[in-house]
Amino acid sequence: MKPVKIAILSLTHGHTRKYFQTLKENPGLEWIAVSAESEKVRDNFLKNNYQVPCYMSDEEMFEKHPDIEAVVMASANSRHIEQFRMCADRGIHILSMKIPSFNMKEYDEMVELVEASGIVCQVELELHYNPVVNRIQNLFSQNKLGKISGFNATNITLSPVWAFPWQGVPEQSYGKRLPLSPGDNRFRGGALCDHPHVFDMIRWLTNSDFEYIFAEAGPNIRKELEVEDILLVNGKMKNGVSFLFDPSWSRMEERLEVPAPGWEVFPKRMEVNLTISGENGVMLADCFGPNVYHNGAPHNRYTVHYTYFDEWIGLMDEFIHCIRNQSFPKINLKWHKTTIEAMNACYESIYTGQPVYL
Amino acid sequence: MTDSNIESALKQLMQKYEVKGHPRLNLLPGWHFLGKKLNEHDVPLLTWRSNRRFTELQKLVSEQVVEDVSMLRFSSFGSNEEWSLEALMYREFDLCEFISGSNIVSLHAVFSDNSTGNIIVKLASGVIGSMEVGVQAPVGRRLLERHEIIARRGVASDMVVDTQVPQSSVYTFTREGESVYKDVDNELFGLDEFQAEWVRAAFEVQKEPGQSEDLKTRHARLSRLVDTALMSNSGKQKMEVI
Repeated sequence: MKPVKIAILSLTHGHTRKYFQTLKENPGLEWIAVSAESEKVRDNFLKNNYQVPCYMSDEEMFEKHPDIEAVVMASANSRHIEQFRMCADRGIHILSMKIPSFNMKEYDEMVELVEASGIVCQVELELHYNPVVNRIQNLFSQNKLGKISGFNATNITLSPVWAFPWQGVPEQSYGKRLPLSPGDNRFRGGALCDHPHVFDMIRWLTNSDFEYIFAEAGPNIRKELEVEDILLVNGKMKNGVSFLFDPSWSRMEERLEVPAPGWEVFPKRMEVNLTISGENGVMLADCFGPNVYHNGAPHNRYTVHYTYFDEWIGLMDEFIHCIRNQSFPKINLKWHKTTIEAMNACYESIYTGQPVYL
Repeated sequence: MTDSNIESALKQLMQKYEVKGHPRLNLLPGWHFLGKKLNEHDVPLLTWRSNRRFTELQKLVSEQVVEDVSMLRFSSFGSNEEWSLEALMYREFDLCEFISGSNIVSLHAVFSDNSTGNIIVKLASGVIGSMEVGVQAPVGRRLLERHEIIARRGVASDMVVDTQVPQSSVYTFTREGESVYKDVDNELFGLDEFQAEWVRAAFEVQKEPGQSEDLKTRHARLSRLVDTALMSNSGKQKMEVI
């Protein structure tokens, strides 16, 4: 199969560096170029020594490399619509980050752009390619737990805002500056915007959609942030499954400008854990564990040292397959729209103090 | 290769990454060849080195995240239908030298009834290590293992603090009882941890068959270490490793 010629846009998304190795190693890809959002971002990229040309604008990159067939859109959420238009116009396939847009008008425009141009647009929800999630799905298909009644999940991490500042800027993360609730001096755009996975996972595994959703934001543990960092969500699915999610930035971090060892203060910097109840019993799952552990450099703190992150391989394999075989990705814009609507409903619930029906 | 799942997973990887390979190679975990004369197609694999648990522990030492290692504490208990003491020793001796980056220069081993063994090793670097091995665990149980590295700066381990048994990623508690699952490789989903590392190790040899000779040399050394441990036990004395 002819390798897909691919580029990365902007390099400002927290997941950017996860793609570097896959783009280099996957025989189905030929990594052509990157564009950088700023000189600082460019300098950091060049330190990796990937021997891939780096441009200071998307336009310049596309002009110099008209053979680019696909992009990883690794930019701030607020830049997505403009980059979608640019790619659709050029017939370039898109691997979108996990939040295409919280603005549903923009979102619908993205859907139309993709349909009209005939490009492939896959949304990066990498947990679909995680071996533990694969096992959970496998156990669900065997009906191991019987009829599911409860689905509780964490998607808790450190806050990436010091390394990826746009994630703490309401206009860039959420798309506009909307108060979290009346009288609250914080705005939409924080931890919730970073953690769509559990909202997606429950829909996929229970094969149902949200009936209603309730969310509550707690006092921030990082007083400097103007976006939320602690929140809880619960509600019901249309099939009667009740759920509780914790999508907080509840793990404290060192304020590094570039992610590096020692970033975490709490030993495990990121977890997605599920507790699922059904008529036959209970399942507990840790999507990123077990691992190895140490209390060595740089801070002599007890640290979870992760041992596997191969989600990006399966994710890119599917993207390549869809491009070359003109097929439709499993996680596409239309599928993902309900997840984004549910996340918006969380913000609405925080604002009104009441559950929101979808 | 003997296991058809492993064979087909390897073929699938070779196809995906366009590796032509050498179909006649006999790619087995090295301990399978203990006491046998290797023929030209036999390649004794160090499969565990393809397990991220061990590659990351090795990196924690080589990249000095834990600095100035002083002692290793390794243990490995399996069932006698799947393992022998010699096989476990082979694996643990290799992990000991691989993770520490130093050779074992002497050892003292004590065994009971060919079912349990306790070994103290000394490395060229001065590091000491303990190795507990046994084959009296029930059949079908995953290896009960611990690999702990104690250094002047930090401790590293594949066991999380304050636990006694290796953890899994999924636990189910149902009317049928308790089940555990540990899936580590989505590209090879369906294979257990040991099968996956076997396929990964075999794939590396198919990609670069030149490493076969090094693996054979390594096999000779590990076989010697196993023999030395057996001699130490029967002679009731510390043995230098030649």
